[in-house]
Formats: sequence, structure tokens, C-alpha cells
Amino acid sequence: MNLTPTMIKTQAITKIVTTSEGELQILQPISFDVKAAESVAIVGASGSGKSTLLGLLAGLDEVSSGEIYVDGQPLHKLDEEQRARLRGEKVGFIFQSFMLVQSLTALENIMLPAEINGLKDARKRALEALEQVGLGHRGNHYPNQLSGGEQQRVAIARAFITRPKILFADEPTGNLDAANGEKIENLLFRFNRELGTTLILVTHDSELASRCQRQLQMHAGSLTETSQPTEQPEAKRHVG
Amino acid sequence: MWADSASLRLSWRLFRHEARRGELTVILLAIVLSVAAVLSLSLFSERLQTALTDKTAEFLAADRLLGSDQPVPEQWLEQAKALGLDVAKRVQLRSMVFAGEQMMLADVRAVDGHYPLKGKVKVAEVPFGPARETDALPGLGEVWMESRLFQVLGASLGGQLEVGDASFTISGIISELPDGGFSVFGGDPKVLLNLQDLDKTHVTGPGSRTDYDILFAGPDGVLEDYHQWLEPRLDRELHYWRSVKDDDSPLGRSVQRAEQYFLLASLLAIVLASVSIAVAAQRYSHRHYDPVAIMKTLGAPASLVRRIYLLQILFITGLGILVGALVGYGVQQVIASLIAERVPVALDAWHWRPFLIAVFTGLVCALLFSLYPLMKLFSVPPLRVLRRDLGAGISSRIIQFLAAGVAIFLLMWAYSGNLKISAILLGTGLVLVLALLLVTFGLIALGRRLGQGRMGAWQLAWARIQRRAMDNSVQLISFAITIMLLLVVLVMRNDMVQQWRDQLPQGTPNYFMINITEQQLPELERHFGQAGVQMDTFYPVIRGRFAAINEETIRTDVSKEEDSNNRGRQGLGREANLTWSDRLQTENRVVAGSWHGDSQGEIPRVSVETEVAQRLDIKLGDLLTFNVGSEVVQAEVTSLREVNWQTMQPNFFFVLEPAAMQGFSPTYITSFHLPGQDKAKLAGLMAPFPTVTLFDVDARINQLRSVIEQVSLAVEFILVLVLCAGSLVLVAQVQSSMDERLQELAILRTLGARGWLIRASVIFEFLIIGLVAGAMAALANELALYLLQTRVFDMQARLHWDFWLLAPLVGALVVGLLGALSCWRLLSFNTSQLLRRML
Ligand SMILES: Nc1ncnc2c1ncn2[C@@H]1O[C@H](COP(=O)(O)OP(=O)(O)OP(=O)(O)O)[C@@H](O)[C@H]1O
Ligand SMILES: [Mg+2]
Repeated sequence: MNLTPTMIKTQAITKIVTTSEGELQILQPISFDVKAAESVAIVGASGSGKSTLLGLLAGLDEVSSGEIYVDGQPLHKLDEEQRARLRGEKVGFIFQSFMLVQSLTALENIMLPAEINGLKDARKRALEALEQVGLGHRGNHYPNQLSGGEQQRVAIARAFITRPKILFADEPTGNLDAANGEKIENLLFRFNRELGTTLILVTHDSELASRCQRQLQMHAGSLTETSQPTEQPEAKRHVG
Repeated sequence: MWADSASLRLSWRLFRHEARRGELTVILLAIVLSVAAVLSLSLFSERLQTALTDKTAEFLAADRLLGSDQPVPEQWLEQAKALGLDVAKRVQLRSMVFAGEQMMLADVRAVDGHYPLKGKVKVAEVPFGPARETDALPGLGEVWMESRLFQVLGASLGGQLEVGDASFTISGIISELPDGGFSVFGGDPKVLLNLQDLDKTHVTGPGSRTDYDILFAGPDGVLEDYHQWLEPRLDRELHYWRSVKDDDSPLGRSVQRAEQYFLLASLLAIVLASVSIAVAAQRYSHRHYDPVAIMKTLGAPASLVRRIYLLQILFITGLGILVGALVGYGVQQVIASLIAERVPVALDAWHWRPFLIAVFTGLVCALLFSLYPLMKLFSVPPLRVLRRDLGAGISSRIIQFLAAGVAIFLLMWAYSGNLKISAILLGTGLVLVLALLLVTFGLIALGRRLGQGRMGAWQLAWARIQRRAMDNSVQLISFAITIMLLLVVLVMRNDMVQQWRDQLPQGTPNYFMINITEQQLPELERHFGQAGVQMDTFYPVIRGRFAAINEETIRTDVSKEEDSNNRGRQGLGREANLTWSDRLQTENRVVAGSWHGDSQGEIPRVSVETEVAQRLDIKLGDLLTFNVGSEVVQAEVTSLREVNWQTMQPNFFFVLEPAAMQGFSPTYITSFHLPGQDKAKLAGLMAPFPTVTLFDVDARINQLRSVIEQVSLAVEFILVLVLCAGSLVLVAQVQSSMDERLQELAILRTLGARGWLIRASVIFEFLIIGLVAGAMAALANELALYLLQTRVFDMQARLHWDFWLLAPLVGALVVGLLGALSCWRLLSFNTSQLLRRML
């Protein structure tokens, strides 16, 4: 286990925002590591800072202090352009509200990151990905012609088309019913397993959280780690 | 390469899908509209102007005229011909002409065979008879002359007329010369003869004040080239160059005004277009916040995002300009061919300028007005994917307004080259914006009071207006500006056409009589009365030589322009027509001093027309000396009068008080209206009064009237075009503001609000906005019109009360109706469709 490289390393990161009532510290100093191919759930009450933390880890936002290393790169030292490149190369995203581009078809949405990052065979890869999420026949449909679950599957295909090292998901099943949520979860963990993608997801769903190897509990901007890394997440689930 | 394949591909893909899904309709429509409006307006007005300029060219009998006191070098004419211009010679002088025992001072014109280059000579079979056009000219040894000369000289066709040392056969009756001028009685009757006969008359010696005019006609560019060549060779003392544009006749002024109106209308079309593009671009930018955040999240560098959207705007603009040009050309073509029979439009003329202007406008509008929304769009942070409420990173309405104002101003200025009009429009626009901001916030405060209580449709509407005060004020401003511009175009047209019509009302005198003696007057009045012809006021006239100002003798030989027929009415000449009256004539306005009335002072008083006063440097309190026969009349200037030269009534430079002129026996001037079909009566009417001179201005009046009618009609069509453009802008505005309401409507719907409640509240909201916008527009309209009419159009400004009521009502009605219509469309979707459309 010690041979597994560290994918994310944080050192006392904080987030302070300025509001009309003065400065507000929404994240207390947080430090933790995530290993490659690990699956981590960030859980906690609404407003506890989960999304904020996710945004920092994914390089969508800048830390106020502290250090973040993603796959060895010092995220806290990069500017927005460099972070964008890093996101494009190493990171995939899934959101509660799917975040598909409405005026592009499902297939084109999936191709988008590949094209942005200059990958050659974008269309071929996208078709494959679409097939893998079971939507091979819906490629030419626009997002508003798809159900929520289908849209999220498209989003997953889009997230994995660049074979990212890390996948961030903010409440990926939040807008879905149990059956569809289950499908999404299965897809996520399948990619995690098959491609060795590090999975970091924010969720309110304790069942989903429990399928992860680790759970990070957020409380009012502070982190309290609850569960220790488990070697067999799948087994554990079946046992539980 | 700037547009690399990835950005090009992505941009093109977005563009294609959005276009297909109708997402681009509004912004595309805005660009199409701006290009189409500007193109059709300027193409149409260009064609109209070409036709009207042709028409006015007839009054010069040429496109350009070179006037000279001496014969001009033949080489100049050769050069003009070498350039391909048509050239004609005209020599003009005043000379006594004799027929038997009778003689009269005449305006003798000797022309070569090319005369006239524009327009037609009209002749009659009998004096004062109906006119017909002819291409012929007097042959060698022949003269043609005006009816009046036949009357005064007692001459007849086939008789002899002596001009200087030569004798001619009278072979034609001139009814009208194209370059006859609008002079009613300043000019002497005209005699036309062949240029080759001029030398043998020996009338052109030194001191004869002969004008050697060369007429030119040809394409504008060539004429300009020629003028450039000619200019350094001209002697200011001897020569002058004139084009139809310098035409200061009533007709020339009407045409100039119409041209300014076209310019104004096109400027307003540009502003309208800019407003709608700004509105649409804002909406476009807003809708793309998410895609930008997504692309950035997925690793797109800022440069890629910028390229994608700049390309996107270029695609949209390109398509918009293409479609707009087609639509604009089509619309204009349809209108032009519809009215070609009644209005002179040069259908076959092809003009590049309007196309360039339209494309340029489309490009500048689209790029400038989407610049700020795009900047906002580019600044959208990727974090928006997590924090949905995050908008653009920059936001400054001040910058937005400033940029928009500057852009519109530059566009108007560049287009019109007229700083004044541009500044007036921009200035009133700014006042309007400021006033509107104040009013919005005032109304919102007021609404808070009114809106308290139960949640009815009314309260819901107020609540919404309040909540989105800033958005609403922007909306209000764009509605108000649109309505104001429409009002300006509409009211301006009304006032202008009204003034034109007033100038020549039905029954405008078409005949003038002079030389009526005191003894003839009662008899004449009776005789005409019996025939059912009503005479207008009789004005006493005495010819006097204007001799001195404040005892300082003035040159009697005033500058030459006086003699030309171009100046409004009666030239000052060597002798002035003096009249006296205790009443101020209609259409005369005292601008300095006070009208003398009939009270008698020690020194007689005189009122002087302002332009003459200016030219001769006459001031209030100056003592003027006139020689009347052997008598000397002195009078003090106690008032300066502005005279409306555009009315067909006798006007006088000098009006004295009656007391000053007692003891002189004047002759009288009067005018009357005789319907065309009664023309035949004229000979019988005039028979008992052989010494009275008759002027027939019927032809002139008809000419003037037909041109004015045509111009009015053209103005009307321009108005319709602008109204259409404006209405479309309103639709676009309502539509885009409807989009912003979508979310709210969906939520209300979801919360179970009844359809009628939502509908009524939306309609109320639009009614309120339309009402306020209309009211403010009426106010701003008044300001803009005042400035335009007094500073640019040279008209009397007045208040337009009717529009103060009309504008808010129509504003509320139209905006409310449009709101209702698009609201209907939205509410016909069910909730889930609504929610889906929001995403
Ligand atoms: N830029 C900001 N300005 C002010 N407050 C902020 C800002 N960003 C986050 N917050 C606040 O910080 C807190 C944490 O927000 P965050 O979105 O991370 O919570 P969360 O745990 O994801 O909640 P939820 O489960 O509801 O999504 C919230 O109280 C939020 O209002
Ligand atoms: Mg959250």
C-alpha cells in the first residue's frame, strides 16, 4: 500500500471570502492525502463547505493559504491558465445539475473535452464512451431531449473520455431517483476500478458514501475523517 | 493561426446547432434589422435624392453652372467636353426692347443649341395660354418672349422686336423657362434668342452687366473632377460656381429639408438597430455563461474561449449582414417600385455607398455592442459549475452606458458627417436616460407603497418591477428610447409636411398684378368681382432708390446676386419697392425693435427685412434715405422683420409707416387665385386695363406643389420604414425580457399560481413599463424636436400636447400587447416544459 503514489496532497488549506459583513473563513486549515485509485466521499451538513473544498481540490478556485499538490503539481502556485491545462489533462467532473452544453448533442458534449485538449480521435473515443454508458443510440439527441439519468450518463462519458487521473463529482445522484442513481454510481465505480481513476465525490447519500473507501466528514468548515481506508469497498458493501 | 482548427470547429458547431434550434433568432434578427433598415433607408433616400437632385437640376437648367462677368476662355469648355460633360452657353443681360412705339426693360437671354441641359422650355400658342414642352429654340433672326411682353408691348406673333441694333421676328411665346427662377415680380419679362444673333445687337458692351454663364451636366464625379481642375483658374471677382445644392429657392429648401429628414431617419434607424443589438447581445451573453464555465472547467484556456466566441459573433454577424442586405434590398425595391409612379425614384440607379454603410453599420453595431457582453462572458469563472449564482467577473453599467453612448455617437457622426444632429440626438438621449433612472427609482419607491397588501396580479407586477429595478430601468430606457425615436420621426414628418402644405394652401394666388393706379383700383376690383375673382390685399408700392444709411451714401451697384432669380423673391436691385402699412403682414415676424403701428412720430419709421439688414449692415436706429423721384424720404429703422419667403405672397424689404408716404401717388400690387380651368377668362379680365402688368406664376406653383407632394410622399414611406424597424425592435426587447422572466414564471407556475394571475401580472408589468416609457419618450421627444427644428431644420418649434397623451397610451398599449402575446406563448407550455427551457 505504501507503494501506491499519492494523487492529492493538501497542507493546511484554508478559504477566506470577503462578504459585505467582512471576512468569512469558510474552510479551517485542512490537511489530508488521497492515494491514486482511491475513492473518497466528502460528506457533511449543508453549508459545511463540501463544495468549497471540492472546488479547491479541482483547481476551480484558489486557496487562501496552504498548499495543494495534484499528481505532484503545486496547484496553489498555478495561475488560472495553468490550472485549466491541468484540469484538462488530469481531471474529470460530474455535477448535480449535469452541466451539459444545451446546444450541443450528447455526442458532441462528450467530444468537447477531447477537442479542447487537442486529442486526435475525439469522435471515435466519444462513440465508444457513449456505448459504454449505454446510450449508443442517443448520440444525436440534445440534452433537453434526454432524461436526467441519461444526461448524467452523458456527463460521465464526457468525464472519462480524456482518461483523467482524478474524477470529481458534486452530488452526482442528487437530482436522480434511486434506480437512476444506482446506475450512475455503478458506472462511477466501474471506471474507478477499471481505469484506476481516483474518485472524489461529495454526497448526502450515505449509501453512496459508504461505497467509497474513505469518508471525509466536513463540519462547519473543518474536516474530521471518519472511516479508515478499506481495501475491499465492494465486499464491505455486500457485507453491510 | 489565430483561428485554429479546434476553435473554428467548436465555434462553427455551436453556431450551427444554435441557429438550427432558433437560439440565435433574436440576435440575428437584430443584426438583420439594423442592416436591412439602414440599407433600405439609405438606398431609398439615395435613389430619391438622385431623382430629386435631377428635378432640382432642372431649375438651374444644368447640374452645375459657371457664372462670369466676361466670356470665359474656350479652353475651359474644351476641357469640360473632353471629360465627357455636356456644355451649354447662356448669355444674360437686361436691355430695353422695342416693338413699334412701345418699349420695355427685358431679361434677354441668348442661348446656344445645347440649352437647356436639364428641364424643358415650355411654350404657349397664345399669350397666357396653356403650356406645352418643346425641344425647339428660336432660330436665327427670331426671338421668343414671355406673355407679359406681348401684353405690355401690344405685340403679336410674327411681329418685329428690336433688341439693341438688331431686329427680330417674334416667333414664339415663352410660358416657362426651366431656369426662370421663382421670382414673382422682381424679374423682367424674358426674351430668348439665338446666341449667334447676340453680336449683331451690340448690347453687350462695357457697363451692360452681362452674365456669361456656362451650363454643365454629367455624372457627379466627373463634375467634381472638372471643378477641381477649374478651381485654381477661377477669379473670385469674376466667376462663381454653383450647383443645385446651393439652391436657396423655396423648392431647394424643401428638398434640403427632406434630405435632412432622410438623414435623421437613417440615423435613428442606426440607433434603433444598436439598441436592439445591445439587448440581444446581452441576452446572448447571458445564455452562454454556463457553456463558458463548462468549457473552462474542462480545461479550455481563456484564449480558446475568446476565439470560439469571437468567431461565433463573426459568423452571426456575417449571416446577419447577408440576410439583412437581401431583406433591405428587397424591401426597398418593393417600395420603390410601388411608388415609382408617384415619386421620382431612380430605380435603375445603383449605389454602392448604402451597401457599404449598411455592412459597416452591421459590423460596427454587432462588434461594438457585443463587446461588453462578450467581455462579461469571458470573465465568467469556471467555479460557476459549482456555485450556480456566480455571474460574470466584471460588471459595470456605467462602462456599458458610456461605451454604448460613445459608439452610437461615433456611428452617427461617421455616417452623417453632421455633428449637430448627432450631438442633439445623443444629448437628448442622455437626458432621457438620466431622467428615466430617477423616475424608475421614484416609481419603485411609490410602488412599494401601492404594492403592499394581498398578492393580486397588480402587486405581483409591482413586486417584480421592484425586485429587478436595475434590469427594469435598462429595459425602460430601451423602450423609451425606441418610442422617443419613433415619435421624433413621426412628429418631425407631420410638422414638416404641414409646413409644406401651409406654404401652398389651396387657393394660393397664382397671378400677380402690378402697376395698378389709384384711379384704376375701384374699377378693377369691381370688374374682377363681377367675374367672381377675389382679389387679395392691395399693397401700395413706390419705386425708390436706396441712397444712404445715416447720411452715408451707399454704392448703388449692389453685389450681383440680387439680380439673380435665386434669392427668394424680389431682389433689392438698384431700385427698391417701398410699401407702407400700419399692419404687420402675415408670415412676418418682428425680431428686433417694435412694429411701428400707425402712431405718428417726428421722424417716419421703417421696418427692414432681416436678411437685407444683415447684408447692408443696417441696424435699429439707423436713418435710411430713399430717393423717390426727385423727393427724398428719410426714415428711422425701428424694427427688423423676419419674412417667410416660402409663402407665395408679396414681401417687401422696406415697410414704412403710412404717414411717411403721404403725398406720393403709388401704384398697387395685388394677387389673386384663378383656377386652372378659368384660364381662358384671363384675356377678358385684363382687357380694360392695358397698363396693368400681369404675372402668371401658376406653372411655378404647380411645379412647386408637385415636387412638395412627391417629397412628402417619400418622407411618408421613410416614416413607415422606420416605424416597422422600431416595432421590430420593441418585439425583440419584449422577447428578450420575457426570457428573463421565464424562470420566475416557471417557479410561480410550479408553486401553483393560476395562469390568469401570472398572465395578468405580466401584462400589468408591461403596461406600466410601456406607460412610463411612453411618457418619458414624449418629454424627450419634445426636447429633441425643439433642438432639431430650431437648430437643424430651420423651422418654428412648437409643443405637441397631443403626443403627451398619445405616447404613454400607445406605449402602454403596444408594449402591454406585445408582452401579453409572448406571455401567452410561454404560458402555453406546461411546467416541465418551462423548467426544461430554463436549463
Ligand atoms: N464566495 C462566497 N461568499 C460568501 N459565502 C460563501 C462563498 N462561498 C461559499 N460560501 C459559504 O460557505 C459555506 C459553504 O458553502 P458550500 O457550498 O461549500 O457548502 P456545501 O457543504 O457544499 O453545502 P451543500 O451541501 O448545501 O451544497 C456556505 O455557508 C456558503 O454560503
Ligand atoms: Mg455543495
